[in-house]
Amino acid sequence: MIDFTFTEEQEMFRKAAREFAETQVAPKVAEMETTGEVCDEVVKALGKAEMMALTIPEEYGGLGLGYTARLIALEEISKVSVGTAMMLQVFALGIEPIIKFGTKEQKKKYLPALAKGERLASTAVTEATGGSDPTGIRTSYRKEGNDYILNGRKCFITNSHIADTITTLAKDNENPKAYSTFILEKGMEGFKPTHKEHKLGMRGCNTGELAIENCRVPGENLVGEEGKGMRVALGAIGDVGRGGMVGCALGLQAACLEASVKFANERILYGKPISNLQTIQNKLAEIKIDLEAGRLLGYRAAAIQDKGGRSSNEFAVAKYFTTEAAQKAAKMAVDIHGGYGCMDEYAVSRYLRDSFVLGPSAGTSDIMKVIIARWVLS
Amino acid sequence: MMNIVVCVKAVPDPQQACNIKIDPVTKTLMRCEVPLVLNPLDKNAMEAALELKEQFDTYITALSMGPPDAEAIVRECLALGADQGILLSHRAFAGADAYATAYTLATAIRKIGTVDVVFCGMASSDGSTEWVGPEIATFLDLPVVTMVEEIVECQRPQWKVKASLAHGYRLMQVQLPAVFTVTRELNTPRALVFSGIIKARKKSIVHWGIDDLGVPAETVGLEGSPTIVSKLSTTESKRTVEFLTGTREEKAAQLLLKLVDSGVV
Amino acid sequence: MKNGYGPVWVIAEQRDCRIRTVSLQLMGQAQKLAEGLNTTAEAVLFGNLMEHHVRPLFAAGADRVFLGSNPKLAFYEPEIYVQMIVRLAQEHEPEIILLGSTTMGRELAPLVAARLQTGLTAHCIDLILDENKILEQHIPAYGGLLSIICPKQRPQMATIAKGVFAIPEPDPDRSGEIIPVSVPEDVSSRLQTLEVVHQIPDGIPLESANIVVAGGAGAGDPDGWRQIADLADALNAALGCTRPVVDEGWAPLESMIGQSGRMVSPELYIGVGLSGEQQHMVGITGAKVMVAINNDAKSPVFDQVDYGVVDDCREFVPVLIEKIKAYQKNRVAC
Repeated sequence: MIDFTFTEEQEMFRKAAREFAETQVAPKVAEMETTGEVCDEVVKALGKAEMMALTIPEEYGGLGLGYTARLIALEEISKVSVGTAMMLQVFALGIEPIIKFGTKEQKKKYLPALAKGERLASTAVTEATGGSDPTGIRTSYRKEGNDYILNGRKCFITNSHIADTITTLAKDNENPKAYSTFILEKGMEGFKPTHKEHKLGMRGCNTGELAIENCRVPGENLVGEEGKGMRVALGAIGDVGRGGMVGCALGLQAACLEASVKFANERILYGKPISNLQTIQNKLAEIKIDLEAGRLLGYRAAAIQDKGGRSSNEFAVAKYFTTEAAQKAAKMAVDIHGGYGCMDEYAVSRYLRDSFVLGPSAGTSDIMKVIIARWVLS
Repeated sequence: MMNIVVCVKAVPDPQQACNIKIDPVTKTLMRCEVPLVLNPLDKNAMEAALELKEQFDTYITALSMGPPDAEAIVRECLALGADQGILLSHRAFAGADAYATAYTLATAIRKIGTVDVVFCGMASSDGSTEWVGPEIATFLDLPVVTMVEEIVECQRPQWKVKASLAHGYRLMQVQLPAVFTVTRELNTPRALVFSGIIKARKKSIVHWGIDDLGVPAETVGLEGSPTIVSKLSTTESKRTVEFLTGTREEKAAQLLLKLVDSGVV
Repeated sequence: MKNGYGPVWVIAEQRDCRIRTVSLQLMGQAQKLAEGLNTTAEAVLFGNLMEHHVRPLFAAGADRVFLGSNPKLAFYEPEIYVQMIVRLAQEHEPEIILLGSTTMGRELAPLVAARLQTGLTAHCIDLILDENKILEQHIPAYGGLLSIICPKQRPQMATIAKGVFAIPEPDPDRSGEIIPVSVPEDVSSRLQTLEVVHQIPDGIPLESANIVVAGGAGAGDPDGWRQIADLADALNAALGCTRPVVDEGWAPLESMIGQSGRMVSPELYIGVGLSGEQQHMVGITGAKVMVAINNDAKSPVFDQVDYGVVDDCREFVPVLIEKIKAYQKNRVAC
């Protein structure tokens, strides 16, 4: 990996994503902040702009692009709306188990509509008893003929109320060490979204609970091998989930930096713009340093993946670094704004709230360190 | 098959272009890194061609004269839907005024062959002379309508188009082949999408230099330009600002007072 | 073959048999340039039933008018007009041709220049003769001024917007020659004007307004733009804008003030949420008081105004409108 420049095509992807974010998402940010709800127009616009199709293979109606293109798109969209980027990244997260482990029939059945944005996806792993520790989940399945009967509750699920296709992790009722991943579909009897969360940040991205009560899931909805479902669900989170968080975090940092530079150039104290003051310059430099480093970490991990390698460890490093950096950047941005940083009218107050949600998503920073330590010690 | 040529230009990003300034000491342009983008009105010109492609069997060439960097905007046109791109790039073309630019583009269009329609943005955001479209038409001996705001009828061989007036419009009947320069009102340019960028991989951008056009050096570039910039000078501001201070209410009150005192309100 | 310089020409325009203001302004400047070159100032005018309406051109400084008066010339027909002007120019070899930056001028000028294989400068804000008696055409650019010349080819051509030059004091004693020009037989019919529709704009016309409020990209969105429009209403001012506003679609091209737009000369100019870019500011001349409202203290607009308010225009403008309305109410009460 010597060439650190993006290709001309990648620069065009970035341009397309930026124009999309600025024209289709930006006008809706205020509404999403006020209501906290997903904006239908934004979802439709994402579909029209082919954002759900990026990593779906061409034979199933997708664009067959790699993880670098995906990271570029998420970075640009997150710069305008972290909530929208999060929603988009989880679409891909929900789709990934089907792409990696699905049968041909499953791919044919689900992927085309998901690529078009006609159907939306999510993934459901986390429960009250296990998020950082997925083995602690209690949602279970038992076999009944060709079908499976599932029971349990999922929480903190992104896109819980809007997803049509949800790749869900459950454990074998009989064998506590065996897990399987199933495709649950909106409208299935015994399966429904219940409580909607009201988050302090990433508003406009839906998070909520799923109730699964004696839900009959047909055998053909099993993804991958029975009993080997942990690999199916977590593999996706490792690459796609963490990679998505990197995109969200990088975009947020870029937004923090841009807002801080603008404010520092306009705010006059002691007769000069505060960008002349060293304490302000220090903060700007720190945000910039983290942004440069985070970009390298993220795009390197994506490049490994695009070459066919596995980079869930590299993504763990990038996820940890960029989400922590984003939280620092947001705090510094608010500090630079002084009192104005606490006001709704100034975007940095939203950036600060958004930054908090980056941490626990797709694995907390502490868990990232556990994974990285495991990598080091292996 | 309708053959359309869209003339496009790479210009300094209009949002940042105001940073390019004349150095008051050396009286030359200060170096400033402003990225090149597709001239905004050229997007409307491209869109006009693409909308025709939806109705008729068309072949669209995106043609540009510019430095090697300009290739990116030609590729953007391919990503939007043009079939091929041609970049006229050569040392000899540099320093061209509108006349020489139009002459060079017209020569290229003649080399392309049978062309039914040439679309140009009405003006570029940097030079903004509005001359290139009409001059291309003259060199090709084609009729031209400038400031097209609506294409009313587009069945060959005659089109009906509305051209903007300061207040109103004129309805023109034009025999093809013809040149049209377009305004913002004509259409809403489509967004650049990922699938378009992917499709552009298979499309080609041809580079033509002065030898490919087969014209003598005196007819193009700086040598071929009837006009030249004889000097740059800076202008002095005749006013010194008084900033009003205080709270918002106080500033508003002060401003009103000043305006009333000076008799303008 | 004459010694010395060919004439200075103005391609004049008429509407409903009245000579347009910009043509009179250019005629005045043409006469000054002609004096400098020791030659004549002449006009070329096309229309229908124009024979008795040419006087103002003489009063403005024309020594001769080439008049094409014919039903076929009633509307601006590009192909016919171009052919006639080119033939006249080839015959009479003018040194300089000036046109107004009107819709017609902006289209005719390049068509004529290309046919005559000569240079052309757009949207000039001044014209002078340099030490070699070459026409120096000034255009604002890059925060300063560019002087453009066409050293070799002739005629030297330029377009100028209305309002750059003043209407000359009409001299009723001046008279001159009218040379009739006939419509050529061999005119092509590739291009025809089917209809010309004029739409009266609403609102206060910019050029004659005493107060002009101009808004820029700082308006932010249509709501912000509406506030600026409200400010213009409150002051009974004409509303103008910069190019980014036109690009956003908040205001039409006709209200764009600047080098390639409208020229204004109000008593009071208030620039709201605009950066004072040269292309715009050059459209404002002779204002008694200039004011700017912008949230960036470093904005170049503040170098060009008398009073500056550093504030977010979306917050400041409503407060200013309140104060204005209160003031007006009190005045009425008195």
